[in-house]
This record gives sequence, C-alpha cells and structure tokens, in this order.
Amino acid sequence: MAIFNLKKREIECKIVYYGPGRGGKTTNLEYIFKKYSKQITGEMVSINTEGDRTLFFDFLPMGLGKIRGCDIKMQLYTVPGQVQYSATRKLVLRGVDGIVFVADSLEVRREKNMLSLKDLQKNLKEYGLNIFKIPLVLQYNKRDLADEGIPLMSIEQMEKDLNRQLKAPSFPGSATKGTGIGDTLKECAQLTLKALQKELQWAQ
Amino acid sequence: MKEDILQGNIKFLNLGDLMQLLGGNGSSGILRIMSPYAPEPGIIYFDNGNPINASCGMLSGLDALYSLFGWTDGEFEFTTTRVTSERVITKGRMGIILDGLKMLDEGQIERLGPVSADTRTAKYSEVGAELPVIWGPLVDYMYVVDEEEFHDGDAILEEGRHGNWVWVVLEGVIDIIKETASGPLTLCQIGNGSFVGSISSFLVRNNSRMYSAKAVGDVQLGVLDSQRLAQEYSKMSYEFKAFVMSLDKRLRSVTDRVVEYSTKQIDLDDYLKYRQKVLEQGDDEKRLFRVQHGKASLVQKTDVGFVPLAHLQRDDFFGFIPFLDLGHEPEYASVLASKDLKIQTLNPDIIQQEYDNISTTFKNFIDNIATCTNSLTKVLNNQQRELMT
Repeated sequence: MAIFNLKKREIECKIVYYGPGRGGKTTNLEYIFKKYSKQITGEMVSINTEGDRTLFFDFLPMGLGKIRGCDIKMQLYTVPGQVQYSATRKLVLRGVDGIVFVADSLEVRREKNMLSLKDLQKNLKEYGLNIFKIPLVLQYNKRDLADEGIPLMSIEQMEKDLNRQLKAPSFPGSATKGTGIGDTLKECAQLTLKALQKELQWAQ
Repeated sequence: MKEDILQGNIKFLNLGDLMQLLGGNGSSGILRIMSPYAPEPGIIYFDNGNPINASCGMLSGLDALYSLFGWTDGEFEFTTTRVTSERVITKGRMGIILDGLKMLDEGQIERLGPVSADTRTAKYSEVGAELPVIWGPLVDYMYVVDEEEFHDGDAILEEGRHGNWVWVVLEGVIDIIKETASGPLTLCQIGNGSFVGSISSFLVRNNSRMYSAKAVGDVQLGVLDSQRLAQEYSKMSYEFKAFVMSLDKRLRSVTDRVVEYSTKQIDLDDYLKYRQKVLEQGDDEKRLFRVQHGKASLVQKTDVGFVPLAHLQRDDFFGFIPFLDLGHEPEYASVLASKDLKIQTLNPDIIQQEYDNISTTFKNFIDNIATCTNSLTKVLNNQQRELMT
C-alpha cells in the first residue's frame, strides 16, 4: 500500500525487482538509473549482499499524471533472494505496490526461475499479498545471449513455465543492452497506478 | 514549549521503519530507544529527517546507529526538538537502513536479547572456556534507598555469612565466587542492572549467603528497599510465591552443578535414575506444572552427552513459562520422574498476569534470575564439552 506524504504532497509507491540471483535485476535498475537520470531525485543506494547486490533509488515516472494533485514518486528496489536476508527482505517487500519478475533466459537457469517465482509467492503471502492480484510484470532477460550461441529457452517455453497461470504482461529483454527495460518498468508503473486508483476509487 | 512525542515498541515498528517514517516526515529531533538488555538508552539525532549522529553505549556516530539495528526489543520515543549535535553521519538514510538490516541479517550486528547479548564473554580458564558477564535490565530507582561504593577487590558479600540486604549494580562489574573443595571458583561476573543477593535474602531471617561477591574495579551499588520487596512478596498468590521460590531454587541448583563439574563430583546417574519421561526435550508443551508429590530431575541432552541440571521436588514447577527464558525445558531439557510423581497443571496465563502486575524491580529481579540460570546452564554445557574432550 502506497504511502501518502501529505507534507510533500506526494504519493510514494514501491516497485520491487524480484528474480533468481544473477538474473539481471541489478543490471535492470542500473540501466534505469543511467538512462532516466533526469527522473531520478536522489542517489542510488547499493548494498553488497551475498550473491547479488541490493539496490534502491527514487524514480519519478513521467507522463502518468498526478493523483488528486499529488506527485507520484516510485521507490525502486531489488531484493536479496537468499534465505538469510529476512530482515532486509521484510523491509523491502512490506507495502510493495508492484513487482517486476526478472527471469533468466539461460536454459541452465530454468529451475532457478521457477523456484524463485514460488519463493516470491511465499514471501508475498507472508505480508498478506496475493501474487495473482498484485501488479506484476515478467521480463525474460538475457535474450541477446542467443547471438553468442548460448542455449536459451524459447519465449514460449518460459511463458509456459512461469506465466501459464499468472497471465501477467511479459517482455523479452536485455538488461546489458537496454532493450525491453523501459517497457517493463513503464508497464509495471502503469499497472501499479491503475491498481492504486482502483483501490482508492479515485479514477480520473 | 511542549514537544511532540511519538512512542511505541520497537518490536512493532522496527528501526528501519521508524527511520523511514521520520525521514518521510522530515522530522528533526531525538529518538531514544530503551532496551531492557542495555544499561543505557540508544540515541539517534535527526535533522530534517536524516540521522546526523547517534550514541549507543561506548559507540557514537554511524557505528552506534548500526549497532542499534540489533535492538529488536524495547521502547522507543521520539521528541521533536532543535538538534544541536553536529553532523557526524553523512551517509543517506536509505543506505543506512539497507546496510543496517543487511549487517543484522549477516550476523555482523549483535542482536540484543535475553540470551545472546546478556552473556558477553570474558576470558577465563576455570569454569569452562568462557566466563559469562550477566547484565540486567534498566534499574528502577523507585526501590533504591541508598547508594554504596566499592573499590577493586572489595568483598561485597561473603559466602556463609548472614545478611538480608539486596543490591542492584548501578555501575561496574562484580565477580560471583563459590567456595569449593579445590579453592574459590569464580562462577560468573555480573554487571549493570544485575542483582546481588537472592530472593530469599529478604524473606528468610538470618539468611546465609550462597556465594561471595567481589568488586572488579570501582563498583556502585544501589541498596534496595528489602522491606518493600518483602511486602510485595507477601501479597502475591500462593502459586506465584511458590513459582518465585522454585525459580530461585533452580538457579541455586544450576550453580551447584557448576561447582560439582569443576570439582569432578558430578553424578549423572543420580539424575537418570528416574525412568518415567514426563516431558521430552523439544516438546511443544504450552502448560506449566507443579510437583505435588514424588521426585523428578531435569536433564539436558547435548551433542556431548547428558548434562544434569536440577532435582525437582514438592512445590517446584516445570514446563513452559511464556515470559522467561531459562534455557531449560520444554525446549532445551527433559523432565524425568519417579513412579509416584503427582503433578498439578497450572495455567501459565494466570502466572503471566500476576507477573505483569508486579513492580518493575521485582520483575527485573525475576528476569535476572532467569538470565543467570540461562548463562550458567551454558557454562555447564561448556564444562560437559571439556569433560568429554
């Protein structure tokens, strides 16, 4: 649930990038931080957590308008997947408004994707959230590696593996090249705001 | 000018959440966190929503702020005021929060709680590998009637002598020593907030001291109002009185075991002779029992063999105590009983209710007994380990 900051007349939403370790969550956020620097208000906080870095920064989505005259600020996070980081994960996932699940297209990571998605469902449940109801976007990352002859799963297979029941919007992407990154975020931001407006019955 | 105050429990709203809340609100002021396991409150200064300085025990600045992430239990209080402290912390708020929680998750920040933090370790060779220093809760000055000072090496108590006074350590560290066949043995050290003297000190006329206490460096003690404590005790229910006395006895038993281990007089068979297992270590038991008839023993199973803890008799309790952590049954010890054992089931909620209503000092006293029992049980574990290797 987003936070309303009456003092600053801002609505803060939280979007969390989730996915298997080394699947590209951090690269996604780093690309956004560089590419959309004009829409970023503070600095990027980067914490070295084992296996993956944890990132955080504030992002101002453009062209999505205001809600009741309040600006919209999005906090973008990545979350460490390892079991041990329970306090960190709790802080990041509590009150989350939207999720981007970054899946790894490498064939060898097939099982890791599915486990991570299951893990996400379990974690969300702990905070009373339902993976089927929360705004969620999937990204099939590392598509560019096909050019280098590395065996990837087909989009169809990944859809079948991960998205058969969820039926969430999905995008192929390459976080290192920057393709699909903006689309993923934009879709997630739009879904999140729509859900927020619906929840508040404030449709404009 | 009246200050705005936000207060609550850190268990409910943790430091990370609090900092986000104060940050989003752009608040300036002082955040105090009081933990029952720390002698002094932790303090964080905020300017315009950002932490600029902090103090926690001997630490200050960012180190202090990080260590406060380990305080997962206690009260907090934020007052808005103009902060005059200089800006020592320059790191951003979110960075501190995420870093702090990460270090907590990775075990780099010590979690302050009843077991882990109360037994800071000091080097010692006689009693197992580690000599615990036991810290007590925040002192409630309501019951302190006088203050006394002792200097390094001064004897505060002498074992076997008679005396009815009870003290609480205001500042400093004290050695707790037992006389044994092979000379004096230092059992543990106690620090700020711990109690000197047992519950029976103010209840039994001509109470004889169970141990000697000696000052390590300068020590400041608060003399407690024994009469008031005795009066409070006399008003308690029969069940609760028995519970308190049994708790005190449990600590004495564990203390005696430490002495027996160190003089190699431990007799495990005496504890394992009872064949009937009433409570198995690790059971999910949520009830509390009182022995009415017969005998029982308390034994801990460890990876280096059995450790005997105590004998239980009429009026002793055993089972689950929701508000204390002795480090014993049901989670960490089994209860074995004689064939003729008769027990009565007590409702732990009723005991808890009475516990909730007693004075802070009495509560601290009881908590301190539990902490000491817990720490000495760990000593026993180490002694058993040494015996086996």
